[in-house]
Amino acid sequence: MTAEGFPGTPLFQRAAAAFAACVPVEPADDGFFGPGSVTWRLHADLSGPVSGLRSLLLQALHPLAMAGVDQHSRWRDDPGDRFATTSAYVLTITYGDRAAARGAAERVRRIHERVNGIDPVTGQPYAAGDPALLIWVHAALVDSGLAAAALYGAALTPAERDRYVAEMTAAAELIGIPAAGYAEGGAPASVAELAAYFEAVRPSLATSRSTADTAAYLLGMPDVEPELAEAWQVLAAAAVTALPGWARAMYGFCDASDGSTGTAPGSAPPAREEVRQVLGVLDAVYLGEPGVLEARQRITVRMRRAGQ
Amino acid sequence: MRLAARGGARYAANAPRLFAAAGAQRQQLRDDLALRTAQDVADTLGTMKGVLMKIGQLASYVDDGIAPPARRILGRLQDSVPPMSPELAASVIVAELGDAPERVFREWDPLPIAAASIGQVHRAITADGRAVAVKVQYPGIAEAISADLGNVALIRSLLKMAVPSQDVTSLIEELRERIGEELDYLREAENQRLFAAFFDGHPTASVPKIVDELSTARVITSELAAGARFAEMLTWPQEERDLAAETIYRFTFRSLYELCAFNGDPHPGNYLFEPGGRVTFLDFGLVKHFTPGELDPLIQMIEALCLRDDPEGFRHAMEEAGFLQAGAPIGTEEVIRHMSLFYETVRERGPRTMTSEYSSAVARRYVDFKSPLAAYASIPRAYVIVQRINLGLFSVLGAMSATADWRGISEEIWPFVQAPPSTPLAAAEAPWLASRSGPRPWSASTAARAVGGHVDAVGAGEAAEPP
Repeated sequence: MTAEGFPGTPLFQRAAAAFAACVPVEPADDGFFGPGSVTWRLHADLSGPVSGLRSLLLQALHPLAMAGVDQHSRWRDDPGDRFATTSAYVLTITYGDRAAARGAAERVRRIHERVNGIDPVTGQPYAAGDPALLIWVHAALVDSGLAAAALYGAALTPAERDRYVAEMTAAAELIGIPAAGYAEGGAPASVAELAAYFEAVRPSLATSRSTADTAAYLLGMPDVEPELAEAWQVLAAAAVTALPGWARAMYGFCDASDGSTGTAPGSAPPAREEVRQVLGVLDAVYLGEPGVLEARQRITVRMRRAGQ
Repeated sequence: MRLAARGGARYAANAPRLFAAAGAQRQQLRDDLALRTAQDVADTLGTMKGVLMKIGQLASYVDDGIAPPARRILGRLQDSVPPMSPELAASVIVAELGDAPERVFREWDPLPIAAASIGQVHRAITADGRAVAVKVQYPGIAEAISADLGNVALIRSLLKMAVPSQDVTSLIEELRERIGEELDYLREAENQRLFAAFFDGHPTASVPKIVDELSTARVITSELAAGARFAEMLTWPQEERDLAAETIYRFTFRSLYELCAFNGDPHPGNYLFEPGGRVTFLDFGLVKHFTPGELDPLIQMIEALCLRDDPEGFRHAMEEAGFLQAGAPIGTEEVIRHMSLFYETVRERGPRTMTSEYSSAVARRYVDFKSPLAAYASIPRAYVIVQRINLGLFSVLGAMSATADWRGISEEIWPFVQAPPSTPLAAAEAPWLASRSGPRPWSASTAARAVGGHVDAVGAGEAAEPP
């Protein structure tokens, strides 16, 4: 470790700066969710990093989403920046006021306009602004939030899980998914619709060399300093454990005969307590960055005043 | 108001930083953030955070040894813990003492006056009219921290990051044990009783008495003490600070040699000061007990270096205690050069001033693993915390810029010297000291070695009673 910081410090610093900036000191309004929402609670949950990692692993299984990332993003050159940007986006649309949320969504939509091409694996054309692709990314995010929390985070009731999926359709609309019911081409609005969506989309999913590379990269994180490697392995195993069984099978993580769910065939899933301990340590490091504690307190105060 | 009239107001006004700076707006914020349920406690202090805070608290005695980012993180972590809501604190009283605080006590102040690391302190007046401080443990914290202490592998990596220059193997077991003990208020109360009984009647050192019937595994009720906080005391004239420092010094080393116990926490927040050198010692969550056999090598080291000027004897004692590998290819002169800094204040008679520079130099030397000694030196587990607390003591005395003839005072206290009173405070202490009876904890051989002023009065071999 250097005098400047812990292992992983640049990542923490960027994520922290983004977080502090995303949570307004004097919001003009309660944004698209509001302090009484399940979304506010879930997006502040300890399980967030597992959710994020699981979300990326899941999203990579869609060939067209993967192709877009492969051909237009240089995230592997600077994964910390990529994680910070993505988490800043989610935090801004969650905790920001409506103007900030719309502004952030508008910026992403403009970037998406330039992201299109032909997937070299399937030969299909793709466009990042395609509602079908947007729904895929959205559904993976929503599903991951629920899955990670269920295993390693706050307990939500079935009704709260439904509410979260329904609330998040506001995020879907911000990014350009039609404001319509799920049957009419909108985002899933309940846990049941989310499950139905994954059933329906599974035939379009595939693994490729890119998928495998991405997973190997995310789970191995060559940029992680050795001191952090063990902790990262726990998170990686947690993210893999939180994946749906079919996704684990597609990645080859799951040895169906023994039901194991680790990152390697035969490895046991990490215990909830152990994952939470690692997440708690990461959270403590995160809290050490300037502005994070204050931003979190702003969220807590508003949630409590809203009766949460 | 009545509670204030009893002297608690000053304590409250000088309470630690969590509540001290609370303007109306800040107080409102704290109320909004208060821990309201056991789940809030678990979310805030579970998942390793409570353990990290405790590690930080222990490690903070050696600021120089802890990596700067770790220090920052641990500091922030302490800021992140809000007090319990009045309702949550009351629920602990109900669970532990059987009824609502307003009924258990004649008066109960629902606002805490201070934050303890895993609890908070309320003022109250007992049914029989005593003003007391009631330390209330966060519900569920003991279970959460105990569970987290089980993850040795993670704690090991954390320590490696937080104190990169230290050998963490001996540290980790000792930390786990000490932190585990601190969760047990019964043990803390027992320690406080031990110290309170020992210093009962002392003219300047005072330990609040435990109210037994109102103390449990999660609640400690003790007499409410009054006095100025550390920061306020620092504004007092130097003579007052010197007297206070002398009391702290006497308290620390009397307990070490007479009780075989190194008291708590030489943390500035754990003292209350009154003029005339009167000091109240507050927190007994971190007390290290020694066996006489564990103390003997420390005594022999002092004896060899400070009394006999016997470098080889010193080295031998270090080796016996396990501080230094036997036969390490390092000249004894080198060993002495490295180690003598730790004894600088007691090697010679005469007034010496403790300074922050000195305490920092000691701390730096302590963690200097680039020295030629480093490869052959280690700190056996029994001494790992005590050494750190010792550094904390130097740091407190250094902050006070305290001047005294530390050697003279030490000679009074060292069981192998037992010199007569060397200061006015010592003279005032004499009746109290004479009233301490019963067998002394140190071994007969240590006492038999007594030399100097009082050897005749003590009587070689008998050695049980001080004059």
